[in-house]
Amino acid sequence: MKPFNLIAFLLFLAGAVWALTRSEPTVREIQKAYFSAVSPFLKSGSALETRARTFLDEVRHSKELEAELEVVSGEVGRLRIIETRIRDLEKENAQMRHALEFKKATQFDVVAALVTRRQPTTWWQTAEIDAGQERGIGTQFPVLSNEGLVGKIDWTDKGRSSVLLLTDEKCQVSAKVEGTPEVGILSGQRGQFMGKPLLRLKFLSKNAELRPGQRVFTTGRGGIFQPNILLGTIESVEKGAMDSEALVRPSVNFADLGTVFVVLARES
Amino acid sequence: MFLVLAAFVVQQFLPAFTGFHHSRILLVQLVFLCAAVTVGQPVMLLLAFICGFLWDAHSTLSPDGGDPAVYTQPVEALRFGYSILLFGAMGFLMQGIQPLFQQGKWQFSALLSGIAIFLYLAAEFLIITFVRGGFVLSQATVLQMAWTSLFTMLFSPVIFWILFKISDLCQHSIHITPDKRRRRNR
Repeated sequence: MKPFNLIAFLLFLAGAVWALTRSEPTVREIQKAYFSAVSPFLKSGSALETRARTFLDEVRHSKELEAELEVVSGEVGRLRIIETRIRDLEKENAQMRHALEFKKATQFDVVAALVTRRQPTTWWQTAEIDAGQERGIGTQFPVLSNEGLVGKIDWTDKGRSSVLLLTDEKCQVSAKVEGTPEVGILSGQRGQFMGKPLLRLKFLSKNAELRPGQRVFTTGRGGIFQPNILLGTIESVEKGAMDSEALVRPSVNFADLGTVFVVLARES
Repeated sequence: MFLVLAAFVVQQFLPAFTGFHHSRILLVQLVFLCAAVTVGQPVMLLLAFICGFLWDAHSTLSPDGGDPAVYTQPVEALRFGYSILLFGAMGFLMQGIQPLFQQGKWQFSALLSGIAIFLYLAAEFLIITFVRGGFVLSQATVLQMAWTSLFTMLFSPVIFWILFKISDLCQHSIHITPDKRRRRNR
């Protein structure tokens, strides 16, 4: 090897080691600078992708969309009524907590956002939304759709955020099975991204008595997700020597994500 | 360098092909591979560092949040900086057939770029498997890697053409022997 090439190779190795040993905050800063630089292109890219997808969807499903719109309009009306009721209950709950001398009464609010890009990287199940720090969104905030839990915020910029979807192996959620004492950790499975992928609910008790169709909700433990958010339904149970695992069909149709809601944890 | 930075911009506009197992065109990797065969080792290593660094800035995930008492087994992601080494390895692979490229046989380089992309994806998958444990290789994953390699490889003649054009504009030779250049120009 020529001396100049050897020096270049050693410098390259030193650079690689330097990059590999960066701390998490430094990596976040690097990413922040990178996304700030490519932000104008990301917006254009997202807009292009959204337009192309909208056009194709309109061509293929114009009649279906009309029918769906009617159903959704009805559903919105119904949800408004439910929301009003929930707000009343929330108010009542806050008052009761106050009455019980809780130091803080916690309220939750949501920010609506549109999914602008899907899976911008090869291996991670992520999506980008058109809302960011400007609207109070921070990392690890839960993301919902009207069907259930979508995931959590992975990174956020001024006007954009990336959502780590529930179908990703790295998105772990503390979950409970309706009508049973079973509690476990739910996450996506590696290499499943077509159609409606199944999730895996781990660390259930050895003799977990579960039936297909039972609903799975968040427990509220772990400090990220609020309790009682629908995650999916039990598909099958695999019993092991030490514990059991269940396959869960997600309640959200990840192939058709449109509008999502980011939950803002707000103290009042 | 200009082409690499342009590739990062264009990459933002390239969505995954959902109908083909979420495969995609990895333009950044392709531009690097095509460039790697046209330059010397020091420049190739510089490009590998820049590409790997920016690619990881583009795709590294945040650490797990939440209460460690509840989430007792956090799922590891790929560490920032790993791509620099993978890009470097791919660059050395491409430089292995640089003599053929210098004889004007760029088709071998184009074919090797597809193979290199497949090896790059396989390496990434194996690293993920290693850090997370539990070897799960589904048919969908293999097809995703294969389609991504194929789609990316199909664009390599375009990238070589752009590289030739840029070198002509800059009046820089990318080491094609004179007789081959005459034959190309004819």
